[in-house]
Amino acid sequence: MKSVSLNAFPRTLARRSGVKKLRTVGRIPAVIYGRQKEPQNLEIDSKDIDNLIHHSVSENLLVDLTISADARPSRLALVQEVQHHALSGKMLHVDFHEVAADEMVSIMVAVETAGEASGVKNGGGVLEHVLHKIKVRALPKDLPEVLTLDVTHLEIGQAIHIGDIKPPAGVEIIGDKHISVVAVAAPLSEAAEAAAAAEAGATGEVEMIKEKKEDGAAAPAGKAAPAAKAADKGGEKKAEKKK
Amino acid sequence: MHRGSRTGMASRGENVAFGEYGLQSLERCWLDTKQIEAARVAVTRYMKRRGKVWIRVFPDKSFTKKPLETRMGKGKGPLESWVAVIRPANVLIEVDGVTEAVARESLRLAATKLPIKTKFISRHKIS
Repeated sequence: MKSVSLNAFPRTLARRSGVKKLRTVGRIPAVIYGRQKEPQNLEIDSKDIDNLIHHSVSENLLVDLTISADARPSRLALVQEVQHHALSGKMLHVDFHEVAADEMVSIMVAVETAGEASGVKNGGGVLEHVLHKIKVRALPKDLPEVLTLDVTHLEIGQAIHIGDIKPPAGVEIIGDKHISVVAVAAPLSEAAEAAAAAEAGATGEVEMIKEKKEDGAAAPAGKAAPAAKAADKGGEKKAEKKK
Repeated sequence: MHRGSRTGMASRGENVAFGEYGLQSLERCWLDTKQIEAARVAVTRYMKRRGKVWIRVFPDKSFTKKPLETRMGKGKGPLESWVAVIRPANVLIEVDGVTEAVARESLRLAATKLPIKTKFISRHKIS
């Protein structure tokens, strides 16, 4: 992973009101931590970080941060987390994790597939992504942005496990070797589909509710009569008292 | 059960977690069992047994209603239906194992069965 340069500024505005003001002027709040140093609040230009992330394959970025007016102006960091607005997708906050160029780090890397699996193309199977991210360990310069798996040879019932993946040079994949990452499942048969439909039908309690509703509608009508009688009795008693 | 509050945006279940593509709500509502089932049927019929579907919402809230033309009082009304409380940004349905074009069309058909505005999202980019 090549490092890209990014300018950052120390941030004094904190809390919700502070960071809202920042976002209105085109800055994004950020924080840098790691390497047993105190965390530091930063702010970065939203255009700069937008450009970086939209031109990269994933959000795993190695950044050469240049922090103006700081005791340690140049730092190497990984983008640890990017928070987005749930609906608009706008960037809200960025976490930087400071790393050393000669120290191993472990990150989660996205898994992508290349090609169409033979089992899907010829057998009508379904390609299942069991794991979307895998944990890898490497020096920052060796970290991959994504892991691409060739799935063209996969037949129905076959899978690629963590142990089958050949990592790039200098990269170690962490995790149980027997866990499957991508698998081709058999297509849903008509019988299985019918069973699934029946199951779905069984969960729908709409009919039961309707029955209850009818009962409910009948019950108040039945109860209405005793209520009316009670009201009549009450009226009679009042009339007697008046006499 | 009380009516509860459905203010604010969804703070969980707002990302595509299982599949590749999803249908995200833009409004708030109570989604009942019939609407969820109609949307599921629309997706599975269009996908014709290809791919995989996940329904990300579950109707775990009951609501009651007084029968029509009934006087007030005489206790609580009978159970009407079960609903899922939907807030903006909730992912309702996810699909995987199909092309983007098939996913878009199947989720568009599902969206027509729902009482709220929705949008198509993918795991990698927001469109």
